Amino acid sequence: MEDPRYSAEVLRRLRELPGSKPLAPAGRMILGRAGSVRDGAEVEFEFALSDEQIAAGRFRAYGCPHLIAAASWLTERALGWQRQRLLDWDWREAAEALEVPPHKYGRLLVLQDALLDAAGNWAGVTRSTV
Amino acid sequence: MKTVVYLDNAATTPVDPGVIEAMLECLGSSGDFANPSATGHEPGRRARARVEQARAEVAALVGATAEEVLWTSGATEADNLALFGAARFYRDRGRHIVTSRSEHPAVLDPCRRLEREGFDVSYLVPQPSGIVEPWQVEEALRPDTLLVSLMHVNNETGVRQDVGAVGRLCRERGVICHVDAAQSAGKLPLDFAGDCIDLLSLTAHKVHGPKGIGALCVRREPRLGLVPLVYGGGQERGLRSGTVPTHQVVGMGAAYRIAGERLVEDAARITGLRERLWQALARLPGTLLNGDPDRRAPGILSVSIEGIEGESLLAALSDLAVASGSACAAASGEPSYVLRALGRSDELAQSSLRLSLGRFTTAEEVDLAAGRVVEEVTRLRSIAPGWNGAGGD
Repeated sequence: MEDPRYSAEVLRRLRELPGSKPLAPAGRMILGRAGSVRDGAEVEFEFALSDEQIAAGRFRAYGCPHLIAAASWLTERALGWQRQRLLDWDWREAAEALEVPPHKYGRLLVLQDALLDAAGNWAGVTRSTV
Repeated sequence: MKTVVYLDNAATTPVDPGVIEAMLECLGSSGDFANPSATGHEPGRRARARVEQARAEVAALVGATAEEVLWTSGATEADNLALFGAARFYRDRGRHIVTSRSEHPAVLDPCRRLEREGFDVSYLVPQPSGIVEPWQVEEALRPDTLLVSLMHVNNETGVRQDVGAVGRLCRERGVICHVDAAQSAGKLPLDFAGDCIDLLSLTAHKVHGPKGIGALCVRREPRLGLVPLVYGGGQERGLRSGTVPTHQVVGMGAAYRIAGERLVEDAARITGLRERLWQALARLPGTLLNGDPDRRAPGILSVSIEGIEGESLLAALSDLAVASGSACAAASGEPSYVLRALGRSDELAQSSLRLSLGRFTTAEEVDLAAGRVVEEVTRLRSIAPGWNGAGGD
């Protein structure tokens, strides 16, 4: 029997971790980071930029299955996004797509914070630190 | 249905075939199904004889007399009856209770309830090893101390307390000593009388018996008073009313008899398997054993694994039945209070895994489980930000 606490998509992403492979060296890289292991949830996004759009992404995450799956989902979704989209992104998109239960919503805010951090770094960071 | 390696024997165990056989003898119309209180007829007397035989089997395993064994629905009820029963019976003698922060909720929750009834409870902080030293208990005793409640083996860490030393200390001071032996009965030697224990909580399902049956051993010499929790019928010397479930009781008796016969052999084999598991997991950098390495029950291994969140590890290990101290995996939403009481950080409590072995666990299962844990930890650490494999608490 599958664990009813997680949607099939959450379990698939936890199993396969799409979006977690290291990026090939690219021209401009930005990093977005939020949360802490101490608080039980930490996320790091690395995005490769091309023509002021996200051309490739990679996530790293420490946390529950919902957080890891949402980070994976978001890494794939962000391809083609411009800076403003990172600023506009709302955690509810991931909650809906992955059927995240309400008591885990707080974890998704860490993703939103990481994207805001990435947006803040969009203009300045030029090399990967991941 | 996929095959799952069962390593959650501290939660419950599969019922031993010998126990099933004994229980079946008490269920059908040709068996000993009758109400054991209905001794006015032959079937009732046969059922009563089976119940009394089981009582003797349980008593024999724990060093009590049959008259001291009182049937309950399990260790939780036994703990409740011990704490509420003794506290309310002797409330005029004193209002102070001593226990530890790493007890099972079946003890801690009644203690909190008793605080609302005017009792004062001291919650001892275990040593980082998980051990509550007898001197800590001694220091906590007061002239008005009525009761000390300490578990024999901790359900999360497997750490074993020196309940004999605590029992003798309590006896010297005239304090009632209650021990929850849910995790130790049938796995470690127990001596109710010799260790000066006054109240001993037991259960069947942790030792390959059925769920829904347990016992409270109540000291008879000198007789200890208890206020009942359940009224109506006067069974079990008026201390626990309700029809005695013959098949359950017989199952518990059989489980305890079998456990007694196999105790030395099972303890040695399971300890060996636990060590094999620990040695395999200890190769992972940043893997910490929770609790004292030596003073522990045979079957419980608790580890904290740095750089890993317990709920994700548990979900990834869907082919293993194990337990986690992660906040998200727990109903309370809090990291394991037991591991926190041992001084583990929230982070390490979150990253804990309990693997508990039983009579039917094989070396192949242990090796498979160790391999899977190493595999998933390595995989999840590969995506953990900042994981550098440094280790250390």
